[in-house]
Amino acid sequence: MGVVFKNGISYLGTIVLMLLTHISMLGIVIVRGNCESPAKLLLLTAAVLGLDIAYIAVIKYYRQMTYTLDILLLCVLNMGLIFQSCFGGVNLSFKHLITCIAALAACQAGFLLTRNHEWIRTKKPYIYGVIGLLILCIIFFTGDRGIWINIGSFSLQPSEFIKPCFVLICAASIMELHKKKKLLFFYVSLDTLCLCAMALVIFGLQWWCRDLGSLPTFAAVFACALVCRLCYPRAKISRTAVIVCGVAAVIVLVAAWVLAPSYVQDRLHVDIWADQYGNGYQQCQGLIGIARGGWLGLGPGQGYLHNVFAYESDIVFMSICEEWGLLYAFLTVIAILMMLMTVLMNPPKNYYHATMATGIVAVFVVQMALNIFGSCNLIPFTGVTLPFISQGGSSMVTCGFLVGMLKAGQSPLFRHKNDRPKKKKSGQKKKSKAGRVKA
Amino acid sequence: MKSIRRGQHLITLMMLAFLIGMGVLIYKLQTEAAFYFSHSSKVTLGCVYDRNGDVLFDPDADKDTYGAKHFIDVGNFIGDNTKQMTNTLVAQNKEMLTNYSFMLGAQEDGDASIHTTLDHDVNRLVYDAFGSKNGCAVAYNYVTGEIYVCLSKPSINILNHYTDIESLEEGSMLCKVFYPTVPGSTQKILTTIAALETMGTEKLSKKEYECTGSYKNRSGDIIKCHEESGHGTQNITQAFANSCNPFYAQLVEDISFPLFSIRRVYQRLGYNVNDSGETTLNVNGIESFTASTTLTDSRDFETQWGCMGQGKTLVSPLQLMVWQSAIANTDGKMTTPYLIDHATRVNGDVTAAAVTERSAPMFEVETAEEIRRIMLQNGTENYAELLPGTSVGVKSGTAQVGSDKRENSLLTGFVDDPDFPVAFCVVIENRKSGEVSTSQITAKLLQNLKESLK
Repeated sequence: MGVVFKNGISYLGTIVLMLLTHISMLGIVIVRGNCESPAKLLLLTAAVLGLDIAYIAVIKYYRQMTYTLDILLLCVLNMGLIFQSCFGGVNLSFKHLITCIAALAACQAGFLLTRNHEWIRTKKPYIYGVIGLLILCIIFFTGDRGIWINIGSFSLQPSEFIKPCFVLICAASIMELHKKKKLLFFYVSLDTLCLCAMALVIFGLQWWCRDLGSLPTFAAVFACALVCRLCYPRAKISRTAVIVCGVAAVIVLVAAWVLAPSYVQDRLHVDIWADQYGNGYQQCQGLIGIARGGWLGLGPGQGYLHNVFAYESDIVFMSICEEWGLLYAFLTVIAILMMLMTVLMNPPKNYYHATMATGIVAVFVVQMALNIFGSCNLIPFTGVTLPFISQGGSSMVTCGFLVGMLKAGQSPLFRHKNDRPKKKKSGQKKKSKAGRVKA
Repeated sequence: MKSIRRGQHLITLMMLAFLIGMGVLIYKLQTEAAFYFSHSSKVTLGCVYDRNGDVLFDPDADKDTYGAKHFIDVGNFIGDNTKQMTNTLVAQNKEMLTNYSFMLGAQEDGDASIHTTLDHDVNRLVYDAFGSKNGCAVAYNYVTGEIYVCLSKPSINILNHYTDIESLEEGSMLCKVFYPTVPGSTQKILTTIAALETMGTEKLSKKEYECTGSYKNRSGDIIKCHEESGHGTQNITQAFANSCNPFYAQLVEDISFPLFSIRRVYQRLGYNVNDSGETTLNVNGIESFTASTTLTDSRDFETQWGCMGQGKTLVSPLQLMVWQSAIANTDGKMTTPYLIDHATRVNGDVTAAAVTERSAPMFEVETAEEIRRIMLQNGTENYAELLPGTSVGVKSGTAQVGSDKRENSLLTGFVDDPDFPVAFCVVIENRKSGEVSTSQITAKLLQNLKESLK
């Protein structure tokens, strides 16, 4: 393969760790859970362990340089499945199981689509097109400045799908920066202009449809792209330009803070305990739930928060704290962070994947911060999902796709089609597979 | 590769920032969990005790265990956990009483409790001393800040579990010690302090004004004196003792006592002058109004009337008492009052031990010494019966309140005894001649408290 990738720990070790995590969680459900019927528990066990084994078997057939991320993704998704299936009583959440499978499929799709940076750069106009299409969907099909499209009993959130597309155009634009042209008095790159324009359109759209929870995520991705752009070789950005960008960002932030609509101002300044049965209801109940749960939780299915709106999505961290304890909730967060840390173990080998990885980490970190710190009243509550854990098809598929993109940076494809090596003999093939497992 | 490494650094930075946030969150959850849990319906609370171990609040209290009126004197002050009253000790410190810890969870029989500085026996005696009259009384140690007595009548019997809420008198669910009242002539303490700060002791002591029973001020309005025949020529000590309104009206008009300096001293004392900004006193979470007034023109009737504690001037009895500490300690610094001596956690560990806190100086030491002398002289000459054998600095006041000009009687002051350093304020509402007086209630308070603290 030419490039050597580290894997941190052996695949076998990672798989054993994953299985131990799931088995221990299921053990906790047996010992401390609110399980009415053994059949339900059996079904959950079969679903979790079945998915573990099935996915491990499937990824064997994908040629990748590292599988650590796949195993960690599976670990986190199944942890989420166990959590979601236990809120208020043990009962397998089929809906969440399906979204987990969809997320795993999206992961492979993301990987296959983005591992070849040469190829994806040629598809940039299409990505702009997809974003444009999604924006039109939001404007025309979500009703009164909403964010959801309802099709029968399904609901889609198109703004979620814009996230990976936006990360892609940020990454795909990074290498065009040296192609500057003089426009009036300034030397600018057309790609940078297009990217900035798209960012403005997305921010404006978020503001218009009052999805201010996603706005910080997009802003973080764009900021990371800007930083990567400043670090790019031959960028030749003057110090003045950097200062101007910084000042502009501060002005925009202050203006947004001051001009935010009344419902946002309410969220920014609400004293949840003074409005315990109004605007602060969810958060107050959630915090009471965390207090009830303590370090070790009340036990799976023994909580009260399943009676509170959005217990499985916006305040899912609190629901986990209540039933599983703060310790387990923190370990879940660490598991997600471990997934992101694989980027540090296997650094991307080109600017495209490096920018992409930075954007993806920004999406996950900002979204986790908004969900966890927001619901726990450390920052204003925006009502976004917790990646990989919250229920919701759009969010899960997007998260899966983003992990696939992250994986692509760790298994990049550098060859062109015409460089494809000749078919190896069967003996050589076996050798190379054995080497991969040992790695 | 350098820029890729920078990208890696950015990723590390984001994750570190997030982990720091998680650390802060875990710390916050760990420390505030008891507060969160205190809002739960499944909360179990401990008891509140007075300084001698008598129970002031018990979540499981009933009339058979404690007697029908055991909690009547502290009903609207210590309160209970029903959320009917919010500005009470229990309501504001529920998390401290919660039998809960983040590690152990909720405990049915924990040791969470609050131990207060209140003397329940004396408190009840003073409450009973009001007889049929309504009002409030508060007393504290002006050296340490311990509140010994705090009551407000009418009160609520929490053992009736609010079944009699419809028949309760107005104000039963508020401890009036913390709420504004018209201070009457007790305001003259503050106006004298302002004059001393502006003119100095020597100059003020030389000021003399004539009282003929009424005074026509420069705006043409008449300021009447309660002594219709007039007090004659008065100096500050005599006018203070006689509560002479014409003297103070002329003092406020004096060009060597400009209005801006009165405003400045009042604001330093915690007044909200002309809506300059409200300040509050906080006694272990119980919010107390401080003081407010409107001072626009020294020739104006309303301004002069305000400097004499009438009209728009409002003060809480707690604030009136706390000012006495700055005078009694002769350093111009207020001693912050507190009620919670210490608390115990669910596992019995002592926590929240009280600490004496003092404010920054509000006026000069010379001012404190002079106003102290004037008040002690007034006490010795007119209120010797309050605590026989001990000097007590005193100022009385009569405040006209409401559209029907009902008269509230006030008495505030301090005991000049290093072994019994107590400041107090007593208010009787709508007092009529021949009824129980503030000095009688104060005498009962001081004498019984001294006996109890021995």
